[in-house]
Amino acid sequence: MSMAFASFSICLIVLALTVRTYAVISGHTRRPKLSGRTVSNPATRSLAIFLGSGGHTSEAMMLASALDFSRYSPRIYVVSEGDTLSAQKAATLEQLKAADASSPNGQMRKQYKLEMIPRARRVHQSLLTTAPTAILSLLSCIYLVSIKPLLRKGAFRQPFADVLILNGPGTCVILCVAVLLNQLIGLPSPRVIYVESFARVRSLSLSGKLLHHIVDRFVVQWPDLVQRGGREECHGWLV
Amino acid sequence: MLVFVTVGSFEFDALAQAVLSEPVLRRLRDKGYTSLVLQRGNSDIGSVESPQDSFSIEREGVDIEIWKYKPSTQADIERADLVISHAGSGSILDVLRLGKPLIAIPNPTLLDNHQEELASALEELGHLKATSVRDLPETIAKFDPSSLVPFPPFDGSKFRRLVDEEMGFL
Repeated sequence: MSMAFASFSICLIVLALTVRTYAVISGHTRRPKLSGRTVSNPATRSLAIFLGSGGHTSEAMMLASALDFSRYSPRIYVVSEGDTLSAQKAATLEQLKAADASSPNGQMRKQYKLEMIPRARRVHQSLLTTAPTAILSLLSCIYLVSIKPLLRKGAFRQPFADVLILNGPGTCVILCVAVLLNQLIGLPSPRVIYVESFARVRSLSLSGKLLHHIVDRFVVQWPDLVQRGGREECHGWLV
Repeated sequence: MLVFVTVGSFEFDALAQAVLSEPVLRRLRDKGYTSLVLQRGNSDIGSVESPQDSFSIEREGVDIEIWKYKPSTQADIERADLVISHAGSGSILDVLRLGKPLIAIPNPTLLDNHQEELASALEELGHLKATSVRDLPETIAKFDPSSLVPFPPFDGSKFRRLVDEEMGFL
């Protein structure tokens, strides 16, 4: 009897979660655009961008450089632990942008920070040990996306960023899962824009395939990747 | 004239060894390239191996400088009259944005190989010449930089518009 009740409850919970997940994911296409301005800061949006090292970082830096930093502030660069090269590139871009800014006030300076997350899987790491590192990575992403914003003074109900830009590889999927979990429990979440690599001409990357239906905007850089009636959008080369 | 060769940060022994081989060097020299700078990454270069991070040799009338890693290849690309590179997207973008003639060679040893895809797509558009290690000597002999189509400069406006629209600025 109690067994039956337990399994019934579990089924009910699973059903509820499934419905909620479906609602969140399918809601991406209908979620209203952030209207004009927010109360706390009238003219800016906070930006988070994941730097996935190597070619991913190079492309992400070009995407970031395209944006008007006076609109997207503060900025969070999420890098994998130990990836000093990406951290340096972020600092260099910030310096360039600050030098470019004709506005005399040094407002743009120091309007950014770096966040480190453990890699989900290192190159050549065996599959057996991937599970624990992926879980560690997920926990760290949950802390960044869900818990830290709650601890922030006076900023309750503000997402960790208004917009999150991802372009691979693996660890960015974990970050996106953390955002999805954050949404499932009803906390304010960033809009997520995924940009497939310039290197992907005829087939999506694994990260692209996994995030395809989860993100708010799915952008590819080669027209062959756009499916008829699909959610991929192509505006030509972005890097 | 100077040719710059980069094989990427992984191993690409076949390319590193090919550019130091007699058939490639001879054709380069025939085309007027008498200096060569090679960034070999972790590639094994066989007989000329040296424990030093960088060293110079002379072969087939070509002055060759061999480096393991160069912190930045920007200056070498700027200086070069021709670049021979693996077909990694980062290297390809760097070279084409600096307006340099490029012969790209996909690394067939990489897993999940999309270098081939990118190189041939860009070749179809006329921005570079794609080849294989085996066909490299012949490609160099036939290569005509003036036949390449100039690569468009970086245009950030498309992505800026996309994000601005998504975030309610437009």
